[in-house]
Amino acid sequence: MPDSPSAAVPLARRAWLDRAGRGLAATALLGLLADDAPADVADPLAPRAGHFPASADRVIFLYATGGVSHVDTFDWKPALVADHGKTITASRWLNKPGAFERHLIKPRWAFRQHGQSGAWVSDLFPCLGAMVDDLCILNAMHCDSDGHDKGTLAAHCGSAQFARPSHGAWISYGLGTENRNLPSFVVVAPAAPYAGAQTWGSDFLPGCHQGTLVTPGAEPLPNLVPRAARPGRQRMELDLLARVNAAHLGRRGGDAALAARMRSFETAFGMQREAPEVFDLSGETDETLRLYGLERGATQGFGWQCLVARRLAERGVRFIELVDVGSSGNWDSHGTMADHERLAAAVDRPIAGLLADLKRRGMLERTLVVWTTEFGRTPFHQTADHPGREHHNLVFSSWMAGGGVRGGIVHGRSDDHGILPAEGAVHTHDLHATMLAALGLDHERLTFRHAGRDYRLTDVAGTIVRPILRSPPV
Amino acid sequence: MHVWALAAGLLAAVPAARGADDDLFETTIRPLLLSRCQGCHASGSGAKTSGGLALDTRSGWQHGGDSGPAILPGDAERSLLVRAVRREEGVSAMPPDEAGGALAPHEVAALEAWVRAGAADPRDAAPMLGGMDRAAAEAWWSFQPPRAAAPPAVRDESLVADDIDRFVVAALEARGLRPAPLADRATLLRRATIDLTGLPPTPDELRAFLADTSPDAWERAVERLLASSAYGERFGRHWLDVARYADTAGDGADYPVREAALYRDWVIRAINADMPYDEFLRRQIAGDILAADAPPADRADLVTATGFLAVGKRYGYAPNPDYQHLDFADAIDSLGRSVLGLSLGCARCHDHKYDPVSAADYYALYGILQSTTWAFPGGEEHKRPAHFPALVPREEAARLDAEKASELARLDAARARARLEKLALEGKAFAGGVDLDLERREIGTGPADPEQKPWLSAGPNVVVPEAQSPFRHLHTAGTRGVRIGSGQPHEGVRHTFAERLVAAEGAPIRVAFDFRTVPTEGAEQPAGACRFYVGRGVIESTAIDFSATLGEFAVRDGDGWRVVTALEPGRWHHVEVTLDRAARRARGSITPFPAAGAAPVPIPLGEVVLPAAWDGAVDTIICDGLGHVAGPATVRDLDNLARGFDAFPPPGSADATVPAPPADAAERIAAIDEALVALDARRAQTAEAPAYPVAYGVSEGTPGDARVQLRGEPDKPGATVPRRNLEILGGDVLADPAAGSGRRELAAWLTRPDNPLTARVIVNRVWQWHFGRGLVATPSDFGTRGEAPSHPELLDWLAVRFLEGGSSLKDLHRRILRSRTWRQSADGDPAAVAADPDNRLLARHARRPLDAETLRDAILATSGLLDRSPAPPHPFPPVETWAFTIHQPFHAVYDSDRRSVYLMLQRTRRHPFLALFDAADPNQSVAARDATITPTQSLFLMNAPLVHRAGAALAARILAAADTRAGRIGAGTLLAWGRVADADEAAGLEAFLEACAAADPGAPQRDAWEALARVLLTSNPFLFVD
Repeated sequence: MPDSPSAAVPLARRAWLDRAGRGLAATALLGLLADDAPADVADPLAPRAGHFPASADRVIFLYATGGVSHVDTFDWKPALVADHGKTITASRWLNKPGAFERHLIKPRWAFRQHGQSGAWVSDLFPCLGAMVDDLCILNAMHCDSDGHDKGTLAAHCGSAQFARPSHGAWISYGLGTENRNLPSFVVVAPAAPYAGAQTWGSDFLPGCHQGTLVTPGAEPLPNLVPRAARPGRQRMELDLLARVNAAHLGRRGGDAALAARMRSFETAFGMQREAPEVFDLSGETDETLRLYGLERGATQGFGWQCLVARRLAERGVRFIELVDVGSSGNWDSHGTMADHERLAAAVDRPIAGLLADLKRRGMLERTLVVWTTEFGRTPFHQTADHPGREHHNLVFSSWMAGGGVRGGIVHGRSDDHGILPAEGAVHTHDLHATMLAALGLDHERLTFRHAGRDYRLTDVAGTIVRPILRSPPV
Repeated sequence: MHVWALAAGLLAAVPAARGADDDLFETTIRPLLLSRCQGCHASGSGAKTSGGLALDTRSGWQHGGDSGPAILPGDAERSLLVRAVRREEGVSAMPPDEAGGALAPHEVAALEAWVRAGAADPRDAAPMLGGMDRAAAEAWWSFQPPRAAAPPAVRDESLVADDIDRFVVAALEARGLRPAPLADRATLLRRATIDLTGLPPTPDELRAFLADTSPDAWERAVERLLASSAYGERFGRHWLDVARYADTAGDGADYPVREAALYRDWVIRAINADMPYDEFLRRQIAGDILAADAPPADRADLVTATGFLAVGKRYGYAPNPDYQHLDFADAIDSLGRSVLGLSLGCARCHDHKYDPVSAADYYALYGILQSTTWAFPGGEEHKRPAHFPALVPREEAARLDAEKASELARLDAARARARLEKLALEGKAFAGGVDLDLERREIGTGPADPEQKPWLSAGPNVVVPEAQSPFRHLHTAGTRGVRIGSGQPHEGVRHTFAERLVAAEGAPIRVAFDFRTVPTEGAEQPAGACRFYVGRGVIESTAIDFSATLGEFAVRDGDGWRVVTALEPGRWHHVEVTLDRAARRARGSITPFPAAGAAPVPIPLGEVVLPAAWDGAVDTIICDGLGHVAGPATVRDLDNLARGFDAFPPPGSADATVPAPPADAAERIAAIDEALVALDARRAQTAEAPAYPVAYGVSEGTPGDARVQLRGEPDKPGATVPRRNLEILGGDVLADPAAGSGRRELAAWLTRPDNPLTARVIVNRVWQWHFGRGLVATPSDFGTRGEAPSHPELLDWLAVRFLEGGSSLKDLHRRILRSRTWRQSADGDPAAVAADPDNRLLARHARRPLDAETLRDAILATSGLLDRSPAPPHPFPPVETWAFTIHQPFHAVYDSDRRSVYLMLQRTRRHPFLALFDAADPNQSVAARDATITPTQSLFLMNAPLVHRAGAALAARILAAADTRAGRIGAGTLLAWGRVADADEAAGLEAFLEACAAADPGAPQRDAWEALARVLLTSNPFLFVD
């Protein structure tokens, strides 16, 4: 470790913690009785402070799979309406550079201004529009690939090409987590996004930082339901296990890995108790369920995902990702943009409800909510009457809210037709750098030595988007 | 002296004396570069060096920028720097206007003179090799040949069982530390059995070993373990970590690879056979090439071994080079890390920052991979495997391919005949159908219907009554034909027949059509020719081409066009041709429509030589503008397309009629339908069944060198680099670059005894697999960013002994397991533990958790559930159904009770158990498992169905093993822990059984034993190895 993500933990000790977390504790820590060890020694998930003061404690990352059209949602382009049907020369088409004569196509939906800030949002998102004063809309996002799998990997892992740890794993590695009865990084997904489990993988980071997949439905987390046939039997088994393990440990003069495994059973027992509570929405009021657009008793849908996200956030989970749809039947509207209507309707109220609920509970202040997608969609096509739009990674829209991000602003602007960034361009690396900054992590100092090189989430790039942070790091 | 004079003097004096060169450099060139160039072109200035070119060091201009070396010493005319300051065409004018603009003429002349004189440049005399200067690189420990120093003397000889111990004990003694005592024998047997086979010892094995008091009991136990097939499964799995093995391709759609498992099994067999490590590597890199000189019986194994290269993560969507640079990035990086312990991948975009590996080194290897044909597993665009190398010899493969092709052709012919027969019975088949659907087209429209089937039309083509041919001997009298009005070369009409006809021996294909050229009224006549294409697909396999200008008719004969006859514009002509595939010849005629009352007079085409590449199939006729005379093609009418196996009646024969269907038509049609179903199924089966077994490996491609990809971007090619060895390892070039890819040579370079890395790297890996940590703690990085060896002399000594002993892994295991160092207890001397908490000095054995595969295997083995029968192929869906995309990727988890090494390993969705317990991530070469201890793992141990099923099975074993409670507890702990519980432990377990009985008085006895069995299987004595 050339650098420490934690000002509070000295360098040498941090290196030692890493080894502990990676299972070399058995050798690294021999001689330390488990009880003598500081609580965090054998625990790579113990909470840690970042590099500078944080404005957010956790992230809720909303990921719309397939590529959401920016000019139909958050990027209002009057010139696109005025110039509908006119031809332009596009520099890229279907993943190939070149010069292509294409016809501009106006948005399908009307836009209107919302809130005090008067930011423009299309009629696809009426509920979210009402929350616009809490949003920081980024209208000059761009990324490196217009392929789904590569774009998705870039949005999650910082590299469109190679296997790298995901953002949630990096953040878990940097900050640990507050509730050991739950994983530090939870992905709630009805189906996997493009690139599958790589999007929540830990790759070369210790495996405890990988995301835990929660699938809406009967058994959201695997192995959570006790199988012992008789009441009380499992507790008896765990008591015996603890006794056997304690005797075993006692004869071995202390070993942190042995002790850590012992502790992990108690934590697992806690998880077995606490995790089902997270997914049990029976205690939520009718009013709350309505806020999320959720029927009582439902165990899936984006409203369920959003409400579960709030409950996970309340319980101290560090990074929560909600996958909107998955790798098929999603926002990838090549055939007809009419699909966007159904997809927006499925998430508009739930997302607005989540923001409102976090806000009224005083949680939005310290919860960074990010909404993004792999890329936008072309404001042009081969014919003016084509009903669909193609992939467009040169510019697109995302938004952030809460967690120290300034609300009611629009950062970045695309050109008149929404084709290229005009000002305030934000690359995927910049978005990652800014997310880390809000959490108090310096993206250039959050590194991990692997195969002879210090790796970062942001590779060798990334600039913090300071204007959107209320108190950017000094 | 005036600069001009100096320059002139130097020109005369080439080669100039050293001193004069240096003078010129110091007096003129250095200040000039400094003041006019280095503002933008300087290395290490922190800012990005413009164009990648640095002019502040000699190596800067030697290496050059994005456009290659800036100066070619002695050759001013071709030196980019000189051309740039001269502001020549085709190079960027330098310095640019914003940097002061052009140099003065005397400055240009001085630069020219300096370059012509050899460009002497005293700056940075130390040449660089990648990220290190050459001298430092050559002095780096891992690039020195290993030297076997005599094992050091130790004070306490009782601590030495093998020379290994001398190195370890000497280091301890030097620090006043003592190693741990020997572990007890039961612990040792459990440790050795799990270490060497990945399975726990059985109670019988334990009892036999504990009872064996002979002096060589230990050696015999080790031999028994090394001889068991489980050894190859364990150490094969270790290698598969390094080889980034998976059963799927790894792109977004993650196609299954049925043949990957052949490579896995080859690794296990090779390890079990103790194949010498150099041979093991040579086969994995060049087995297919070695097969040429090997006995035919060895071919399958040799080709299968190249799976090592192919089995990496893939990025492409089709078998084309679009994403090959990423596949190769994985292969080069994996090769470097696994075999050499070098991160070669870092040199993809630029020279390695820290190690002596240049981008040129990277692209030298890249050329070797690019000269290789890679099996393509299937992907988003091309959903079928391609280029899998055959496991049978080339001639045999060709014979089996031909056999399969001929069987397919036979089936196709049979299907076509059956369908034609059916059409005839339906009254639709005469000469290929009633005017091939033209009669159903609407007058005044194009011939294409909305689905564009079977006609495709581009250009002003229209169905008109005037285009009805007057010939009636093949088709019944119709009312319309198509007028093709476009003269554009790529416009026209296309007709695709529903049935593909395939010519077979003795069954030539007949084709006929009617056409006329149409003079354009009033306007200038288009001078070019239209073409009539006959063949398979859209110019996929041409059978024959005809061509017509307004007044001339030609046929393509062999290599060129041959004019057959003049045409009377506006007169209809009937063309008929017989295509004999076997003879590669066609015969036929063109017949003008005769004047009233006259007899038709066919004009023979003469013998026509057909293209050698024609595959014998006809299903498409195209009329476009690509005829024998260039220019806008003539307007023409087309009608009466016909095609079949039987000879057509000649022009002038009786008018065609549609025969009335025979009385039994319905039954015969039903019978044909039935036969067709069977034929179709047979064809699909034949098409999908491989003609011979194949491997997921590589074969030789077209030899050629690669160009450097600037900043790793394939569309920014730089200089061409010859295929060669890494410079730091000798830089050997290929003796005959045209003879092959260079993999044979690469395999030799990697495995020759003077390669300083290969032996050290594998010896260190084996050490790590036995001790949990290598003598070099970064086993895939022996470069400057890796960790230095803890016992460098021991590492070298082991490497030299390994090479001298024939690179036998089993000998290395024997030596290591004989050592006292390996056999010491995991609980060390407290003073040593305090002094060396990381145990770098090896004063105790490392206690380790069972890794993912071993944990699952041990649960299955201990409970008696383990299935040791040979692993069958994975039950992937049949290849003919593969349609995986990034939207609908392949995903499956296949359960079995076989050893975990045989589980189906998916790359993008990891196996849930293996991912949970930190098995190797197959997306890249894995040097070491980074085990974690997490509550989600403990949840698995508490609640997973596997653990409960195994608990029940183990309880049954325990109950059957003894009659008494004490006996059963002894049997259970012997099974799970490799030792009988001591009195305290036994008392605790008995108390548990009693408590269970008290809590549930009515429960069967077995119930409590199952609970006890679960505790045994999830307790630390089971989960860890002392």
